[in-house]
Amino acid sequence: MDWDDEDALLATSSKGDALDFLNLDAPAPTETETPLSELIRHWMNERHAPTILAAQEQLLGLLLDHIRRQTDAVQALRGHPSTSEEEHIRIMLVQTEVERVKFIVRSYIRTRLYKIEKYARFITTDAEIQTRLTTAEKAYASSQAQHTDRHLHYSVLQSLPPAQAHLDDQPIFVPPMVTQPNKSRAVFAYALKECPPVRLPDGTTLTLEKDQLTLVPFYVVEHLVERGTAELV
Amino acid sequence: MSLPQSLRTSVTPPELELIACQQLVEIIPLISMEKTAFISGAYGPLRPPHKAQVPLWMALNLKSKKKCHIVAPDWLSVEYLQDRLTEEISKKDFSSLPFRFTEIAKVLLDVASDDLQNPDRLRLLLKDIREARQAKSREGLRQLDHSALLLTRLCSMEINEIRPFFIQSMGVLTQLTRQSTSES
Repeated sequence: MDWDDEDALLATSSKGDALDFLNLDAPAPTETETPLSELIRHWMNERHAPTILAAQEQLLGLLLDHIRRQTDAVQALRGHPSTSEEEHIRIMLVQTEVERVKFIVRSYIRTRLYKIEKYARFITTDAEIQTRLTTAEKAYASSQAQHTDRHLHYSVLQSLPPAQAHLDDQPIFVPPMVTQPNKSRAVFAYALKECPPVRLPDGTTLTLEKDQLTLVPFYVVEHLVERGTAELV
Repeated sequence: MSLPQSLRTSVTPPELELIACQQLVEIIPLISMEKTAFISGAYGPLRPPHKAQVPLWMALNLKSKKKCHIVAPDWLSVEYLQDRLTEEISKKDFSSLPFRFTEIAKVLLDVASDDLQNPDRLRLLLKDIREARQAKSREGLRQLDHSALLLTRLCSMEINEIRPFFIQSMGVLTQLTRQSTSES
């Protein structure tokens, strides 16, 4: 990169737009949803929802690109001796933010991985849940399921009578062997907009108005969360 | 494992603090800084002694390096909180406070208590408010059934506090109802 453009990286007044670090079109801080606040919403939804929610590949890619751009610019500036003390503070602030965003991205992905590991066997058999996973996540789920199956087979199942060597029994009175997400687990849902009426388990309907908070079973508000009219808190 | 055991059931208070620190606050900068693009948006320029809006995390960072003063939000004042406390004690409903007031008040009292007026009194008031509200949210458990519970004006930290118990209780109630309907 061109060192003469060093100031252009951080100063808005200059003409250069090297590395796009100072993207002047960056939205002014408003109450509208930025990619980051969107990710925070999905992160919290994912943390509270009992099942796996739709993957946010595009959003994640956008933010990862942004993290890389910011990191590159910081690296370039840090190596440069003429950076003033004032600039150091800006660099430090940019770096702090990058670390914060990285934390959120990591925690979001780990939450999904945790659920994939937990429901691996169910994911391989259920087409509906697969639509909400990325290709890489699907591959991970099936390899996870295969590995556990093989491990169980070699360690225990092969020495059992064939009738007892299944991993997908559905005996009566006991929960099925394949762990499934429990969609009737309660969640705290917060209405971001006015929501269309939802049907409650006791047969009544409930209309959530904006800013209303309610504790309901997850499947009641699942479609609202998916559409972004409600979030889990 | 991919997600530590302690994080599986609920979100932790530090994580809620991290989210709350995305909110904007006003600061009086002591250093100048050009407008800079961050991932969450562009902030600045900082020109002392003009006020500027920055995210809370940035304000706290600058504050801890003595590079700014934080302007306390309107609700973080003795008069406002005193009013809320009276309301909290005299009325049955929750009084209206910002959704993430606990987290914001905590970090501001920790880092920037010298920018607040009468921080000790604020701490006491916040504690009293918390206790009054806690009693009410426990009372709310009586109304819990298997289908829905409307919780108006509950704050994020309070939700987090009652979450494990309320979710578990609702799960038990769901099981009980399912059994009684299948019997009848």
